[in-house]
Amino acid sequence: MTTPLLDVQDLRTVFDTKEGTVKAVDGVSFQLEAGETLGIVGESGCGKSVTALSIMRLQRPGRIVSGKVQLKGRDITKVSDAEMREIRGQEIAMIFQDPMTSMNPVLRVGFQIEEAMAAHRRFTGQQARDRVVPMLQRVRIPAAKERIKDFPHQFSGGMRQRAMIAMGVSNEPSLLIADEPTTALDVTVQASIIELLRDISRELRAAVILITHNMALVASLCNRVIVMYAGRIVEQGPTRAIFKNPQHPYTWSLLRSMPRMDEVGKERLVSIRGVPPDLGKLPTGCKFHPRCRFKVDRCLTEEPPLAEVDPEQLARCWVLMKNVPNPEMQS
Amino acid sequence: MLDPTSLPEIELPGSPFEGDTSRPAQSFWNESWERLRANRIGVAAGVLILILALIAIAAPIFSLVLTHFDPTRQHLIDNFRPPGHPYLLGTDELGRDTLTRLIYGGRVTLGVASLTVVLSLTLGTTVGLLAGYYGRWLDDLLMRIVDVFLAIPAIFLFILMSILFRPNAFTLAAIIASVGWGGVARLVRGEVLSVKQRDFILATRSVGAKDLRLIVRHLLPNVLPILIVAASLGVGQIILIEAALDFLGLGIQPPTPSWGNMLTNAESYFFHSGWLVVFPGVTIFITVLASNLFGNAVRDAFDPRLK
Amino acid sequence: MLLKFVARRLLASVIVVLGVTAVTLILMDRTRGAYVPGIDLNPALRPEDIARLRANLGLDEPFYQWYLSWLWNVLHGDFGRSMIDGSPVITHILERLPNTLELTLTAIVLGILLSVPLGVIGALRRGSKSDHALTVFSVGGFAIPQFWLGLMLILVFSVTFQHLGWPWLPSGGVTSPFGGGDLGDRLLHLILPATVLSLFYLSLWSRFTRSSMLEVLSQDYVRTARAKGMSERRVVYLHGLRNALIPLVTLVGLELPGLVSGGLIVEVVFSWPGLGRLAFERALQYDYTTVMGVVFFTTLLVVAGNLLADILYAILDPRIRYA
Repeated sequence: MTTPLLDVQDLRTVFDTKEGTVKAVDGVSFQLEAGETLGIVGESGCGKSVTALSIMRLQRPGRIVSGKVQLKGRDITKVSDAEMREIRGQEIAMIFQDPMTSMNPVLRVGFQIEEAMAAHRRFTGQQARDRVVPMLQRVRIPAAKERIKDFPHQFSGGMRQRAMIAMGVSNEPSLLIADEPTTALDVTVQASIIELLRDISRELRAAVILITHNMALVASLCNRVIVMYAGRIVEQGPTRAIFKNPQHPYTWSLLRSMPRMDEVGKERLVSIRGVPPDLGKLPTGCKFHPRCRFKVDRCLTEEPPLAEVDPEQLARCWVLMKNVPNPEMQS
Repeated sequence: MLDPTSLPEIELPGSPFEGDTSRPAQSFWNESWERLRANRIGVAAGVLILILALIAIAAPIFSLVLTHFDPTRQHLIDNFRPPGHPYLLGTDELGRDTLTRLIYGGRVTLGVASLTVVLSLTLGTTVGLLAGYYGRWLDDLLMRIVDVFLAIPAIFLFILMSILFRPNAFTLAAIIASVGWGGVARLVRGEVLSVKQRDFILATRSVGAKDLRLIVRHLLPNVLPILIVAASLGVGQIILIEAALDFLGLGIQPPTPSWGNMLTNAESYFFHSGWLVVFPGVTIFITVLASNLFGNAVRDAFDPRLK
Repeated sequence: MLLKFVARRLLASVIVVLGVTAVTLILMDRTRGAYVPGIDLNPALRPEDIARLRANLGLDEPFYQWYLSWLWNVLHGDFGRSMIDGSPVITHILERLPNTLELTLTAIVLGILLSVPLGVIGALRRGSKSDHALTVFSVGGFAIPQFWLGLMLILVFSVTFQHLGWPWLPSGGVTSPFGGGDLGDRLLHLILPATVLSLFYLSLWSRFTRSSMLEVLSQDYVRTARAKGMSERRVVYLHGLRNALIPLVTLVGLELPGLVSGGLIVEVVFSWPGLGRLAFERALQYDYTTVMGVVFFTTLLVVAGNLLADILYAILDPRIRYA
């Protein structure tokens, strides 16, 4: 068996707050191969961003309390700070949600991209400088040569995100993490950014982790999906399978709350009742049960394990949607 | 086709299912008050100020109980007595009891400071509200005037005015306020400008509300937190300015005691009567410290993001 | 665009200066009617002489005429003559100006040099003992009355030390009256007053630097910098401190106006022959020409200082230029 590019094993990250220790990531495990795109979906606060930050070891003020993150066989939760800094931006790159605040407003865009390369040993200072314009051109920013002297506020939202992507891929990383890359952008611009991400990741043969709450994005970009809730994985599997046959009630509700072009007139839109859970005051048993339409008694007392329901598809549920006869009728 | 009448019912928070963790909503003022109460240093400082204010207001009672002296009573025989009995904090060159003078001096200082705050807040808020709300030429005009007042070096203005208008507590407060109101006006104007954009203002106007009503009932309450914070933070500086003016002889004149003028001649008595220099200064320091700490606590309570 | 920005600010500045002089003169106007020039020198002046002197100095003119003629003179560099001794005001001002600048510039530079590292340490070691000590120090320093501190320092380091036979610091003046005048002597005299003056700045700026650093370090772009794999040092200084210093520049700029007048209390306490003390003493004597001269001069510097700070800010923060 070849070693996967990324192997996350039982990752746990907590935050110490006045009200106690909050488990933001509570036992997350998954693997990723080169060239794969993995989507992590869930509501705000479910732990998807913290998972990504933990992989980069940027989770402060949180703490990684246990688990392993193996990058090409090496556990990066245990490497020194200096080594981690080499990995960041070079082996693993991250693109953040809001490009306006994610770039330093007083430094020129060209400089910030150059910096990303110059920080590592792969390119010399001069090489880094020479690569800036080609990088910007690659992310399809027009008039790149003049633009490198501009400041972030002079770029439009979409262009800023492209520049962020350029920054991210400038060192040709093996793993690219995109945290809600299109959420802060206009709908019209989103499609082009997604297309750009797809092209670049294909070109680099990089693995991509796409974090989003937008199921449509997942459908168009990802090979596999992980659904998170309250810091845990509640379902994971190939995108097609998940979309066709969601087994966890939460996944099912997420998909049902999305209008779909191919099913006009067929189903009602259904909202998920309740509010996202307070991670400091989680219920006993299955963490989703307070909002679940299909629960049984066991759900209130025992937390289900993440179990295989189909080849390659795992779900954390006692009931499983395949055992529910007419789910649309129950509301 | 999506049938609106058949959409599932929206469940409101607070519904009786397990795991619901919604908290009751609190008003902005309640929340701020809670935050203030939780800040122990701030509370301690606030209590201290309250005590000082109490002593100042009830000065005659306190001095009657504590020291039995009149602040202007001279007893030349007893001059330069060190702290002890019956002069708890000693006497000055004219035999006047230091502690009593400190107590009465507090009245002067705190009184002038409060008056100053009231004056500069009133003038500053009015100008700020008008400038921010009406905008255009009125805004330009008023803000130029504010710029002028802010550009004059405060110290010079104080000196000029103190010399020209023989200062009693009221005129002194007016003089000090004449410099501070500009800052308040700018602050208020800024706040008004940002609130003005908000939709509820447009909505209120579209319903036909009159300007005055809009300003008083809608803008003013939104501006209050800023005012409270500015006032709490500014009191300390005002006390220091007042003391300095008194020290220079431009403020409250003897024989009325004030913490500042108790120090005017103290330098020459340092050797044999060091307490005359130390006590008034320490008193000023403690008062200003307490009010600064309280001011910081107030600011943190109203806008915790700034922390 | 930078040029347009500067031009606009320049215009506003001119208006402000005119306004300030008008206000000050309006205040001094009250003294015009009563003042009798030269009365101190010659109490036996006859009414006709008084009338003649007043006419000469234009003391009975309508206000606007007085103001305009004064303004006209000033724009030609003629600040008039002192009402006390008849010597040109401008001479006094230029004599005293270097002393004031020496004092306040030293205090400001001292303030900056100490505040920035203290603030950075406080931010990086947030919550630690040194951070708390810093907070206590700055909150305390802000509450001490300047004149009292000056007094106490003199009493301890000058009077008491001398009394005890220890090496002591001078209590006033720029240089020693006898001998001295060399650099060492000047520095000795500078120590106490500059310390008192800088304490205020230090308390204010160190706390401000700290909170500015904390805010900047929590920004998204700092997270991006870390994600790019930059060394912590570079993140803190290039991305952190550089951005955190921008508002500090504004704050320091706000003190530039105080450069000439803010040291007044310290000048008085330490008998420092500066502009502030000049204005104070002359105002007590109703020497309106001198006072006006000092105020105008100072305001000019204030406004120029503001302008400079704005320009500096615009250079450092490119977003401002396009506002």
